[in-house]
Amino acid sequence: MSMNVNTRPADVMPPWAKAITLPIILVVIWQAWAMTLPETSPAPAPLKVVQSFVELTASGELVWATLQSLGRVLAGFAIALAAGLSLGVLMGSSRMVRENLDPIVESFRPIAPMAILPIAILWFGTGTPAALTIVAYAAFFPLLINTIHGVSRVDRQLIRAAQTMGISRLRIVIAVVVPAAIPSVLLGSRLAMGVAWTAIIAAELAVGAKSGGGTSGGVGQMMFVFYAYSIDLNGIVVCMIVVGVIALLIDRLFRLVERHLLPWRN
Amino acid sequence: MPATMPKQRPLNAAVLPGGERGAAVPPQAATAPAARYGAGLFLRVWRSRWFIALRSFAIFVGLWALLAAWVASPLQLPSPATVFDAMVGLARKGELLSQTLISASRLGVALLVAAVIAVPLGFAMALSRELNAYLDPIVELLRPISGIAWIPLGLFIFGVGGTLPVFIMTYVAFFPLLLNTIDGVRDIDRKLLAAAKTMGVTRKAQLVHVVVPAALPSVMVGFRIAFASAWAAIIAAELIGSPSGLGFSIEWYRQLLMSPKVFSFIVLIGVVGYLSDLVLRALQRKLTPWAEGLGIDA
Amino acid sequence: MSVQMIQPKPAPKLRLKGISKEFIAPRTGQRTLAVADFNLDVQPGEFICIVGPSGCGKSTVLNMIAGLEKSTSGSIEMDGKAISAPGAERGVMFQDYALFPWKSVRDNVGFGLRHGTAGAGMAKAEREDRINHFVQLVGLKGAESKYPHQLSGGMRQRVALARLLANGPDVLLMDEPLGALDAQTRLVLQVELLRIWGETGNKDDRKTVIFITHGIDEAVFLADRVVVMSSHPGRVSAVLDVDIPRPRTEEVRLDPRFAELSEEIWSLIRDEAYRAIA
Repeated sequence: MSMNVNTRPADVMPPWAKAITLPIILVVIWQAWAMTLPETSPAPAPLKVVQSFVELTASGELVWATLQSLGRVLAGFAIALAAGLSLGVLMGSSRMVRENLDPIVESFRPIAPMAILPIAILWFGTGTPAALTIVAYAAFFPLLINTIHGVSRVDRQLIRAAQTMGISRLRIVIAVVVPAAIPSVLLGSRLAMGVAWTAIIAAELAVGAKSGGGTSGGVGQMMFVFYAYSIDLNGIVVCMIVVGVIALLIDRLFRLVERHLLPWRN
Repeated sequence: MPATMPKQRPLNAAVLPGGERGAAVPPQAATAPAARYGAGLFLRVWRSRWFIALRSFAIFVGLWALLAAWVASPLQLPSPATVFDAMVGLARKGELLSQTLISASRLGVALLVAAVIAVPLGFAMALSRELNAYLDPIVELLRPISGIAWIPLGLFIFGVGGTLPVFIMTYVAFFPLLLNTIDGVRDIDRKLLAAAKTMGVTRKAQLVHVVVPAALPSVMVGFRIAFASAWAAIIAAELIGSPSGLGFSIEWYRQLLMSPKVFSFIVLIGVVGYLSDLVLRALQRKLTPWAEGLGIDA
Repeated sequence: MSVQMIQPKPAPKLRLKGISKEFIAPRTGQRTLAVADFNLDVQPGEFICIVGPSGCGKSTVLNMIAGLEKSTSGSIEMDGKAISAPGAERGVMFQDYALFPWKSVRDNVGFGLRHGTAGAGMAKAEREDRINHFVQLVGLKGAESKYPHQLSGGMRQRVALARLLANGPDVLLMDEPLGALDAQTRLVLQVELLRIWGETGNKDDRKTVIFITHGIDEAVFLADRVVVMSSHPGRVSAVLDVDIPRPRTEEVRLDPRFAELSEEIWSLIRDEAYRAIA
């Protein structure tokens, strides 16, 4: 839409320079603001955040907490994958099953993962199983819905084409339905990992917050401890950045897998 | 993502070998003696969407009741009947309504604030390459940091209260609204703009009559995703850092070990979330009836 | 015609007797008669084109022969045996080609050989030979490892044809296979289709073809006989012998007989065509 073809100075700037301009300005302002505060102020500052990051990494705390959270995400994701795929294939391939289960699935979907945390705590206590339940619940829906989508929308002509080649039902499922559904399932997995990562932070935070700082561990718990006990805001910001970076890495990793597994989609 | 899933299913839906084949009648239905009147009505009711839903719910509640009887621990799994009683009790006291209203008004404020910032910004970023070059990196840096992760810092800044949930939800709702607005504006069919230009339409009219209507359906989709994300986030935010609202209530009654009430509020969260999405869908169809022409299903 | 009078008539390859097809809408129960009382005998090696206005049930007839849909009444026989399910002896080429997007050209062509009955008991080397043969026959040499989305419409059509032939069916069922192509590509591929079918070779080596099209000139150019259908419900309104000698070349289009036959077919479906757009 914009018709700026004349080369003003701004246009001479390479894109990467434009990209880092604003972040740098914001960080500088933030640092400058923090330096006006008394030394005892708990307010976070960029330099202190860096320092905190170095300390937390050196002590191994941060890495351990991240691994703990990631481990829970993977375990919860695995549970969701098993449940979501099997139910999704069933619902995707049989209209009877889908019509009957749809109302139930649809009524659970708007219930936020965190809403069932209290039940999970009632059932499993405040340890890892409760956190796993939340993660699995959160990851289940994107997996289920995308699997149903992938399986039920397999191009009907492709199945017919296979039928006219005298291919058995089982082989059609293996050679046509499964590969046709893979893109959807991968998309579902990527979304599921994203919400699972959010859910584990929430669960760890909440378990920490509401159970008197139990021993659940993980990045979320670490954040809560920084908030409630050591009042270390720089530590909180470090955790936030870790949360963001891990989310980004998960997303990129899945996109990479998608590109490699689905050469026909490029 | 779930919110964008097109609801409408094409005729060639599920086809596994030997399964039902789209619109064609299964052979037995074609050869069966036409059950036009009495049996036809029965069949139509039997196969209708609402009847199937009702039947599924009945079975679900039945299974729940059986499981509750088997577990025999009203603390861990109260029976449907006790939960229903608790719900009626809470409704009589007005607590269901008052807590829902508290959460809903926070949600409303957050969505409004997010929309007022994100939608104009989205238009600006999509229309100006310059602005986009500067702002997009910030957006991409912040976006992976989930709203939940802001809770501790937010708690410190705002304290326990009503502001924290609003802040978290505004943050969570901001990104889908912004990104869908940008996408909507960018995906405008260039030919439509070219057509408008060949008719000598002014730049302002191009914006008002071409760009905005073409982008609006995508903005509406963004709004629905924003709602769904905010609805999930409010529970976490209230559960951890608020003295009121639906999220607070379930945690409050868990600590009091009043499971039927915990379950009541969970059911309520589902019902309100579901109904709100229905309303948003209807609104979407009403406000942007041309959305389907752009390949966006309500 | 006169030749057939002297020779004893061979047993038909396909026999369609009084076929009808009724669709019932799943929820409303509304019935639509798509095809009514369809009769046709197809001789071995014969090239049949079915033309008719849009929605006349051409594809439904083809799908019933393929075994993809069941007829409501009537019978379809191949070599005297009733057809009840899809089988590799009746190959189908679909309108949108139905190529597997996740398979390369080579794997699409070999799909039936690998997974279906056509390749049962076939050694790997033999299968590869066969794939190569048909890839070459349709002129796709060098494009074997490409994916369908990397190919032009004309090339996809060739892949579909190679896949169809690789399975070695007796009967080729083709549902508007050239419909999605541009006019020039279409003309080229019509000639090529006749070459691959074996027009220049021995008559006994030719496959039996049922070819659906809405192009009248295409039907006249390709077919031994043209079946003209009318719609609502779909029935046979005429069967015309195309007495233009083979092999046919581009010059055939200038033949007065070509124009005459085209005109005759058009006069049969013109009214309905006008009504359809009114």
